[in-house]
Amino acid sequence: MKRSKIKYLEAALCCAAVATVGGCGNASDDGKIQIEIVQYKPEAANYFSTVEEEFNATHDDIHLKISSPNDAMTILRTRFIREDYPDIIGIGGDINYSYFVDAEILADVSDYEGLQNINQAYLDIDEALELVPTDGIYAVPYVANAAGVLYNRDMFAEHGWEIPQNWDELITLCDEIKAEGILPFYFGFKDTWTCLAPWNAMAVDLAPADTAKQVNRGETTFSKEYREVSEKYLKLLNYGPDDPFAYGYNDACTAFARGESAMYPIGSYAAPQILSVNPDLNLDSFVMPASDNSDGNTLNSGIDLQFCVMADCPNKEAAYEVLNFLYADENIQKYIDAQTAIPCKEGDFELPSILDGMTDYILEGNMTDYQDHYYPSEMAVDAQIQTFLLQKDVDAFLSKFDTDWLRYNRDIIRLVQDYEKQHGNAN
Amino acid sequence: MKNMMNKKVNTPAMILLILGLSTIIFPLYLTIVIAFKQPSEMTNSISGILSLPKVWSLNNFREAMEITNFWNSLRNSLLITLLTVALSIAVHSLMGYALGRNKAHSKFYSFVYLFIVSGMFVPFAILMMPIAKQTAEMGLANWFGVVLLYVVFYMPMNVLLYSGYLVNIPMALEEAAKVDGASTWRTYWKIIFPVMRPMHATVAVLTALAVWNDVMTPLIVMAGSEQNTLPLAQLNFQSQFGTNYNLAFASYLLSLIPILIFYIICQKQILNGVVNGAVK
Amino acid sequence: MKNERKRTFLLITIPILALFVCFNTIPLIRGVIYSFTNFKGFGSYDWVGFRNYVDLFSDARVGKSYLFTFKLAIVSTIVVNVISLILALGLNSKIRAKSFFRGAYFLPNILGALVVGYIFNYFFTYILPAVADMVGIEALSSSILSNPSAAWIGVMVVCAWQAIAMNTIIYISGLQTVPEDVYEAGGLDGATGWKQFKYLTFPLIIPFFSINMVLCVKNFLMVFDQIMALTKGGPAQSTESISYLIYNNGMSGGQFGFQSANAVVFFIVIVVISVAQMKFSGKKEEQL
Repeated sequence: MKRSKIKYLEAALCCAAVATVGGCGNASDDGKIQIEIVQYKPEAANYFSTVEEEFNATHDDIHLKISSPNDAMTILRTRFIREDYPDIIGIGGDINYSYFVDAEILADVSDYEGLQNINQAYLDIDEALELVPTDGIYAVPYVANAAGVLYNRDMFAEHGWEIPQNWDELITLCDEIKAEGILPFYFGFKDTWTCLAPWNAMAVDLAPADTAKQVNRGETTFSKEYREVSEKYLKLLNYGPDDPFAYGYNDACTAFARGESAMYPIGSYAAPQILSVNPDLNLDSFVMPASDNSDGNTLNSGIDLQFCVMADCPNKEAAYEVLNFLYADENIQKYIDAQTAIPCKEGDFELPSILDGMTDYILEGNMTDYQDHYYPSEMAVDAQIQTFLLQKDVDAFLSKFDTDWLRYNRDIIRLVQDYEKQHGNAN
Repeated sequence: MKNMMNKKVNTPAMILLILGLSTIIFPLYLTIVIAFKQPSEMTNSISGILSLPKVWSLNNFREAMEITNFWNSLRNSLLITLLTVALSIAVHSLMGYALGRNKAHSKFYSFVYLFIVSGMFVPFAILMMPIAKQTAEMGLANWFGVVLLYVVFYMPMNVLLYSGYLVNIPMALEEAAKVDGASTWRTYWKIIFPVMRPMHATVAVLTALAVWNDVMTPLIVMAGSEQNTLPLAQLNFQSQFGTNYNLAFASYLLSLIPILIFYIICQKQILNGVVNGAVK
Repeated sequence: MKNERKRTFLLITIPILALFVCFNTIPLIRGVIYSFTNFKGFGSYDWVGFRNYVDLFSDARVGKSYLFTFKLAIVSTIVVNVISLILALGLNSKIRAKSFFRGAYFLPNILGALVVGYIFNYFFTYILPAVADMVGIEALSSSILSNPSAAWIGVMVVCAWQAIAMNTIIYISGLQTVPEDVYEAGGLDGATGWKQFKYLTFPLIIPFFSINMVLCVKNFLMVFDQIMALTKGGPAQSTESISYLIYNNGMSGGQFGFQSANAVVFFIVIVVISVAQMKFSGKKEEQL
């Protein structure tokens, strides 16, 4: 009788060895097609659960499940390691996207009709993100964000401060604010990624848009291109809190929302968090004026959220049906209202008021993608910038940046060289 | 110990111990107080930090439970811990018995014994990436996979404990049963298993504490399955609390309460178990 | 009869051994195999020979994480053992409410390290600076977790807070094995206080001392939860423990292959240290 215990154990082992993961898009018991989306913006979880409900209420043949986990990139990568793919992923237009395209785990969606309505500029950004050029299209841009400086509109009006147009004006403004006993900037550098926000916003003004690719081709070095950014970043630090490394992103948003500083150099994505602390805050933004010339500035804007269908997904048509629903004008408008984002779809959308100060740049199309979207995540540039801000040694930082870059991008550089050898140098 | 009657109470030691105790009480006191307060009551002055909440309301807890899906995580944690402990006692004691009785005179068993016990040196870090892949390939990226992994991870330690304990159990006990015609299997469950009861308690305590508080294994295996254990839920929902530290602390406290209750009830067994396990 | 016994033992051993091999040995071997690839965790990968290992020894970040982990392990081990010994002596002396004290002092050990880390994170970020401000200690008026040269102390305090509980209990059980008449004999020779401890008590609890050393070093070298809760490796990558680096860069950072190589080296380091420790403490016990 007791022997059955061993048998049970053996049986369990066998079952374990035989059983395989349920793939995506399986038809469930009730005959519906299952579509699973994992999207990486936990702050938009409410929006997506509404979308999920509405979709399921109006569709009898497809059951949609959207999850918005915290730290989704780790979860996605862990799931990819397990080869357990969702049907659609919602990710940003950054190096992860480049890797996923390179790994051939995303489906070519060039046959998706909705692409016609997407702003070409954003499709170009995605194209530029591919490590080596491909024929297909692997993502449908949803919304973009912009990084610059958020400011307290009421505080500015009260003191008669003006929006700075170039670097000197910015520094003069900071001195003025400081003289009134108010903290000009808040930083939340305990969360390393926030170190990248001012960095990106300044780098687009001061370094070529394709710096990373130029370096990969051996045409320039970061020491040359990033020196001015680094030096100016250190100056900004003087106008922040005494110990910016003690506070995280949440703390910084809270402090800025409570009026503890006049400005916060971060992306538009921070607005919902800030407004949740203080809904009455009169929030606006302006483009980071890092250039010495007023017309040398450009808005730092990149794809914040885009949807990719996984190559593994067995029901591409059902996935497109879901995309159609997501990209319906009224849903996009709801998203940009809730998350203060810029739509990637063409059409008559009402931009959120906190982007007022950036609207001109958006309408002109004077926008440049984030530099960090080209940085390999394992190089941890955010932590390197944090180290630099602590040690304040420009030369050490830049020379380490250059040597680390070559090491972490070795495989990419080789890939690009191989490609160019085969196809001839396209440029 | 017997001569204590003629010694006085050691006053300096008492004072030292009471002072030392404050380093343990203070963080816990803080946790409780913050968990009950409202965000508006949080100030950065000493009196503000130490003061009791104005109203003892359970609202923070209710909200924290909702955010972290507390009952679900609690159920998972309980399920994983209880099943791991039960399986560990059954499987590891059997293995300890088989190896302990044979390793002295059989090369095969002594090799297996060394092989398993040396598993103690394998850091989780080297296993974690392949394990993430492997559990998924086997369809075990769920709580049951976590349990199986625990049974393997704690095997070296527990087999060592059981086979060590077995040395104290005379063969004569078994031989008497054999004379009555009982099979080895029956003899084990009827005679040896009950005699090892003190070791079962030790193994249960050690395994339960380690499993209950473990973050890494469920993090690697269950990430993305929307199933959490209690510690994993704290990790996954950390950013959803934002700067509402009161809510966060309510959630921390909730996750500590089950083990605190368990400790208060079984304090003696836990202390004994831990000491036995370490001293062997 | 004898065959029945043999068969039963085999039937017990084989399946359990298979389970162990399946979830311990095979992943270990796979880890070693991945360490020779440039696998990102998904997609295709190439064999890169020993490149990962060569890189490992020239990678400043990895070197820093080893330094940090060892610094933490050594300092914590010393701090924890000194404090636990003092506490154990106190708890073993003639005091009131002995079992209450023992129970209370063990409490930190049963709490989950992650949650304890979160609680101390708040303590270091908000409460300690506030208190220091009020008392006027300049050095502590900003969060120690934000200072790259001091953040490791914060991690150490949290590790120690929990580990002391464990080591104290073990020392107490050690002290209880010391028979009273040793002290009486010693008392006649005039050994009291420190002398009594050094010449009488300590030599008798050396086995317990080695247990504690082994426990401490092993736990601290694998520190993970506390880092996750307190610093996430920051500031300026100053508190990245080896386990944290392997998890962070290997699982989510796309360095699956490279960090596998790191893990293999870490495994070898752990084995060497463990063997050395066993040899060392074995010798020490023999001498006595």
